[in-house]
Amino acid sequence: MLEIIEALLSSTLEYFPSLLFAALGATLCERSGVVNVGVEGMMRAGAFCAAVAAITFPTPVGVLMGMAAGAGMAAIHGYLCIRWRSDQVVSGMAINLVALAGGTYLLESLYGPNGTPPIHQLTRWHLPGLSEVPLLRAFSGHSALTWIALVLPFVFHGLLYRTPLGLRLRAVGEKPHAVATLGLSVTGLRWLAVLGSGMLAGLGGATLSTAVLDRFEQHTPAGLGFMALAAMVFGRWTPLGAFLAALFFATGNALRIGLASSAPGLLEVVPQGFLLALPYVLTLAVLAFQGQRTHAPAALGTPYEQESR
Amino acid sequence: MGERLRAVLPSVFSVLLALAVCWVFIALTRDAETATGAYLQMLRGGLGDWPQYFEGGRLAVLTRPLGEAAIKAALLLLTGLSVTVAFKVGLFNIGAQGQMLVGALAAAVAGAQLQLPAVLHIPVAVLAACVAGGLWALIAAALKLSRGVHEVISTIMLNWVAVSLVDNWLSVGPLRAGAGTHLSTTGTAEIAASAQLPRLLGEMSRLHLGFPLALAVALAIWVWLSRLRSGFETRAVGLGAEAARAAGIPVVRRTAQAMGLAGALAGMAGAVLVLGTEYRYPGGLGAPYGFDGIAISLIGGNHPLGVALSALFFGALRAGGTRMQLLGVHKSYPELIQGLALLFVAGRMVWLSLLRPRKVAPMAPTRQPEASPEVPRA
Repeated sequence: MLEIIEALLSSTLEYFPSLLFAALGATLCERSGVVNVGVEGMMRAGAFCAAVAAITFPTPVGVLMGMAAGAGMAAIHGYLCIRWRSDQVVSGMAINLVALAGGTYLLESLYGPNGTPPIHQLTRWHLPGLSEVPLLRAFSGHSALTWIALVLPFVFHGLLYRTPLGLRLRAVGEKPHAVATLGLSVTGLRWLAVLGSGMLAGLGGATLSTAVLDRFEQHTPAGLGFMALAAMVFGRWTPLGAFLAALFFATGNALRIGLASSAPGLLEVVPQGFLLALPYVLTLAVLAFQGQRTHAPAALGTPYEQESR
Repeated sequence: MGERLRAVLPSVFSVLLALAVCWVFIALTRDAETATGAYLQMLRGGLGDWPQYFEGGRLAVLTRPLGEAAIKAALLLLTGLSVTVAFKVGLFNIGAQGQMLVGALAAAVAGAQLQLPAVLHIPVAVLAACVAGGLWALIAAALKLSRGVHEVISTIMLNWVAVSLVDNWLSVGPLRAGAGTHLSTTGTAEIAASAQLPRLLGEMSRLHLGFPLALAVALAIWVWLSRLRSGFETRAVGLGAEAARAAGIPVVRRTAQAMGLAGALAGMAGAVLVLGTEYRYPGGLGAPYGFDGIAISLIGGNHPLGVALSALFFGALRAGGTRMQLLGVHKSYPELIQGLALLFVAGRMVWLSLLRPRKVAPMAPTRQPEASPEVPRA
C-alpha cells in the first residue's frame, strides 16, 4: 500500500510543475486585468525553444531560452492588448493558432516528424537522506524544477499580498483608474504581469521538454495550457489556489496513469474519459456554484483607456 | 460603398500580410525558390492544377482539388458561422470545437444505427448532430444566464469535457466499432450508405452535398440577421443588453437561442465531416476546426457573407496544403497563414495607424479609438 502511494506521489510530482508554472502565469496575468487564453501557445513556444537550445547548450540554458520564448509570445500579446487595446481573447487565440502551426512547421522542416533529437534531461536530485525514508522517498529523484514549483506559489503569494508591488498588481486588475490617480503606470504594471506570465508559461513548456521528456514532441503541450486555465479558475485566481488546484489535477492524472497500468480492470468500470474530464467538470461545477459572487478580477478583459471612466 | 470597402480592407490586408510574412518565413528557413514553389503548389492543390490541364490533362486535375477545397471550406464556413452567430448576441464561442465533436459523434451514431431511406436518413442524421451541438452549447448559455459564468471559460472547459468523454470513452469504448470484441479498431461503426452525403461530381471529385448546404446556411443566417425581426433583436442584444431589455426585447431568450444556434451550426459541421468524407467517427476530429472557426469568423468581419468568403479562401489554401508536402513544407502550413492573419486582424490598429497619413493639427472632433468594434463585450 505504502509503495502505491509512493509511486503515485512521485508521478504527481513529475507532472505537477509544468501545470503549476502555467497556472501561476495565467493567474498573474489575469490578476492584472489581462485575459490570457494564449497560455497553451506560450507553453508550446517555450517547450520548443528549450528543446532546441538544449541541443547545443547545457540544458539549464535551454530552460532559460524557453522562458524567453514564452515572454516573447507574451510580448506580442501585451503589445496588442495593452498598447493597442485589441481584444484579449482574440489575441490569445491567435497566439495559440500561430504557435500550433508554426511549431509544427519548424519541427518538421528542421528535425522531421519524430520530434527534436534527444537532449540531456535536467539533473535529477537524488537526496541521500530522503531516499531511505519511506513515503518521503517519492520526493527524491526529481529535477530542481519540482522543488521550485513547490516553493514558487508561496513566493507569489507573498509578492501579491505582502508587498506594495503586489497590491498595485492586484489593484490594476480591479480598478485601474484608481491606480492611475496615484501616479502609477497602469500599462507598466500590466506589461510586467504579462511578460512575467509569458516567462512562467514558457517555463512550464520548458519543463515538459527538459524534465518530463527529453525532447520536443509534435503535440506538446497537448492541452496542458487549457488545463492550467482550469487550475487558475479552480484556484480562484490566487497563487495558493492555483497551487492546490494544480496539485489536485496532477494527482488525478497520476491516478489515471497508475490505474491504466496497474489495474486495467477498474478502468472498465470507471472509463479513462471520466477521469480525464474530471478537472474540467469540477471547474465548471465550482463556477456554477459560486454563482454571482465571482472571484475574477473586476477589470478582467477591459482594455485600459485613460480617458474612459 | 466606401464604407463597405473600408470594412473589408483590413481583413484583405491582414491576409495579404500573412501570406507575405509566411513566404519570408519559408525563404529564411529554406530558400526563396522553395517558398515560391510551395506557394504555387498550394495554389495548384487548392484551385486546380491549371498548368497540367492546359498540357492536356483530364478535367479531374481541376475538379479534384477544387472539390477538396470546397469540402474544407464547408467545414470552416459552418464553424465560422457558429462563432459569428454567438458574436452577434455578444458571446465569444470558443466552444465550437466541442460542439462539433459531439455533433460528429451524434451524426455517426444516427448514421450507423438507424435504417431509413436516404431522403430521411441524411436529414435525421444532420438534425441529430445539430441537436447534440446545440445542447452542448446551451450548457454554456445556461451557466451564463443563470449563474453569470463567463462563456469563454465555460466553453473552453466544455471543449475538453467533450474531448475526454468522446475520444477517450465513447468512441474507444461503448460506441467503438465491434465493441465487446477484441478488434483493435478505433472510431465508431461505418454509417449506412443511405446516410452518406451524395457526391455531386461522381468520380471526378469528392465534392459532396455538404458544400451547397453550408453555403445555403450562410445565406439563411445572413437573411435572418439582416432582415428578420428575431435576427435584429439578436444583434440588438449583442450591441447592448441593457438597452435591448429596456426596449422590450427578450434578452434571455434571444441569448439562449443564438447560443443554441451557434452550437447547432458547429454540430452541423461535425455531421458534414462524418457524413461527407469520414463515414464514421474516426476517434478524433483530426484538426482544430472549432478554433479555425474563430479565425474564419473574425477575418470575415463577423458578417455571414464575409465569413463565407474567408472560408472559401482558407478552404482552398488548406486543401492546397497537402501539395506543399511535395516540397517538404508541412501540410499544416496554411494554418500558420490563417493564424497570422487572425493576429494581424486583432492588431490591425497597429498597422492602420502606420498607414494613416499624419495630418497636422486635426481640428475635427477626435473620434474615440475603436478598440475592437466587431467583438462585443459580454
